[in-house]
Amino acid sequence: MGYAAARGGLTAIKNAENLVRSLRDEHPSPPVGHDQLTGRLRLLVDKVMGEAGLWDPQLASRALVEAEGDHVEATHLLRAHRSTLPRLAVSIAVHVDDARVLRRVVPAYREPGGNQILGRSTDYSARMLSARRNLPAVDIDRRSPGATTGDLRDGMRRMISVLRSLDLLVDRRRQDDPEPFDITATPARPPAPRSARLATMARAETGALINQWYRNILGPDGYLHEVTLGEVRHSEIEVNVLHPLSGKSTTVGYVRITEVEAIEDLDGDDEDRERFDAGFGACLGHNERKAIAMANLDIACHRDAGRTSLEQSILMTTDGLDSAGFLEHLKLPHYVTFRSMVDRKFAVREARLTRTDLAPRGVGTDAR
Amino acid sequence: MTVTDNTTNRLDSLGASGDGPSFAILDEESKREIRRALLQAVAVPGYQVPFGSREMPVARGWGSGGLQVTLAIVGPDDTVKIIDQGDDEGVNAVNLRRLVVSSTGIPETTEAREASIIQSRHRIPEDELTATQTLVLQVPVPEPLRGIERDVRELARMHAEADYSRMWVSLYEDKVRNGVITQSTGYPCLVNGRYVVATTPIPRWDIPRLHMSQFLTLFGAGREKRVYAIPPHTIVEPLTFDDVPFEVERIEGAACRLCGSTDSFLVDSSGEVDSWACSDTAWCRARRSQG
Repeated sequence: MGYAAARGGLTAIKNAENLVRSLRDEHPSPPVGHDQLTGRLRLLVDKVMGEAGLWDPQLASRALVEAEGDHVEATHLLRAHRSTLPRLAVSIAVHVDDARVLRRVVPAYREPGGNQILGRSTDYSARMLSARRNLPAVDIDRRSPGATTGDLRDGMRRMISVLRSLDLLVDRRRQDDPEPFDITATPARPPAPRSARLATMARAETGALINQWYRNILGPDGYLHEVTLGEVRHSEIEVNVLHPLSGKSTTVGYVRITEVEAIEDLDGDDEDRERFDAGFGACLGHNERKAIAMANLDIACHRDAGRTSLEQSILMTTDGLDSAGFLEHLKLPHYVTFRSMVDRKFAVREARLTRTDLAPRGVGTDAR
Repeated sequence: MTVTDNTTNRLDSLGASGDGPSFAILDEESKREIRRALLQAVAVPGYQVPFGSREMPVARGWGSGGLQVTLAIVGPDDTVKIIDQGDDEGVNAVNLRRLVVSSTGIPETTEAREASIIQSRHRIPEDELTATQTLVLQVPVPEPLRGIERDVRELARMHAEADYSRMWVSLYEDKVRNGVITQSTGYPCLVNGRYVVATTPIPRWDIPRLHMSQFLTLFGAGREKRVYAIPPHTIVEPLTFDDVPFEVERIEGAACRLCGSTDSFLVDSSGEVDSWACSDTAWCRARRSQG
């Protein structure tokens, strides 16, 4: 019996949970330690923290193990955990120029101010599975990609400031300093301030954001064109709060972020054809794909100025918990709604039998 | 007030001093915020009030909105009944119930009359509910006009100006093309003569129960971050035409195979011949025990 099986009650639910737990935790292989995930599956942990909007590598690793590697499920565990915590303080804004740069790529210039730092990346590696199990240890100064010295940072001139000095960038800097829109306290719907869009994209499901971008390239939507990347950076920044006793700024921790500046060629009739504009993307963790999509969508949304549904798509369709949860709710019992639909099918059939002015029974484009 | 005092007081009031999870999962400030939204919803019947929907221990689309409403209004003296499709034993109902009960310690019941809060997905219990009871409905899609308009800015304008003309046209076209209005569940209703609401999806059978009811109905849509309400003694009119009566589900000659009922909402339990059964399992059981 179909739904009898889905009824089951508490015992069945507990059994289902226990099956997951015992097959996972009592598997004969050695248990997966959290340091293994943060150390060896770093990008997965970063992705989960970014989509959760919560920086805690240990908890994110634990969530991934509990979710059997399902990153959306792990994100849900982190976000639900966050819901139970009070907000004790709001951090002080930091300037991204103060970040310790771990990787920096500048496609717009051959020799940008400061160095290009490839850092930890497989971008240029041949995509071939390593044939040998035990590769010899590599000889590398592990501190080097971290750009530990301040001077390296000093020479790094951001591409938008280069363009600004050449008067090649539209000046959109605002004089006021409004509080950013808090998407966790107020649902963001169009028209929304830029900070709401950026916050939404920073927590968006990575794949959803990539798809949002790519459907504008090859899909039915054409609201954006390809940008030229000014900066792709992976950096470590301080988290500072006011000390409750001294009232002074105090560093309470560090997070890593990926940050992207996207230079946009303005080609609209009502746009400044002598200058460029720029989009910005940043998210928790090392997730370049996401930050690049975000920066391009940021400038696309600004240029769109509410003409199309782009902003609604960004604000309302990119959250992983929303889309995955709603998709999966289709597994829940729907026999009441289905019964009501069946009722209407018979009602239409009856009406067509008795009324001559309606299409006869079975007529429709999909009638067989 | 110094920063220190402020922080300490807040830590205490939020129950964050390390003595385990808070009553009803959410912290007090979150619950207060949801209650504020609910008060606004009751004050403006049918209006969809935005709220900062939290991520819950259940997935979005699985009753996260209804759960937040229940957790925001529940107190230690409450008794809760939770159903899905009218069934206390549905997997989703069981799951939500154990969350509510384990995080509050309040008693649970399957008897509609014993419950002060009834959280439900897709049904209103068959029993008459009273003024001391609150019905919490889980809402997957709170926007009744989405079928005719996709742009949320335009939807906001239509509600603000009570411009429901396109809704009426779509109902008219449905009737002309198909001979009947084919909307099945979640039938659109005009609340208090002002706002059109999506009735979760409860079947049309349940719609008349919302009109001038004794009880308060709260609607929670967690994924779309909206709550709305139909307070007691509020006019609820299903959208239909003067010469087209509103029709509830009916099955010629069908009766519950367990209790024989012909005046409850019946579901086709297996798709086989004569497998009709009451969707409200507790009501059906009570009827059988009364003989």
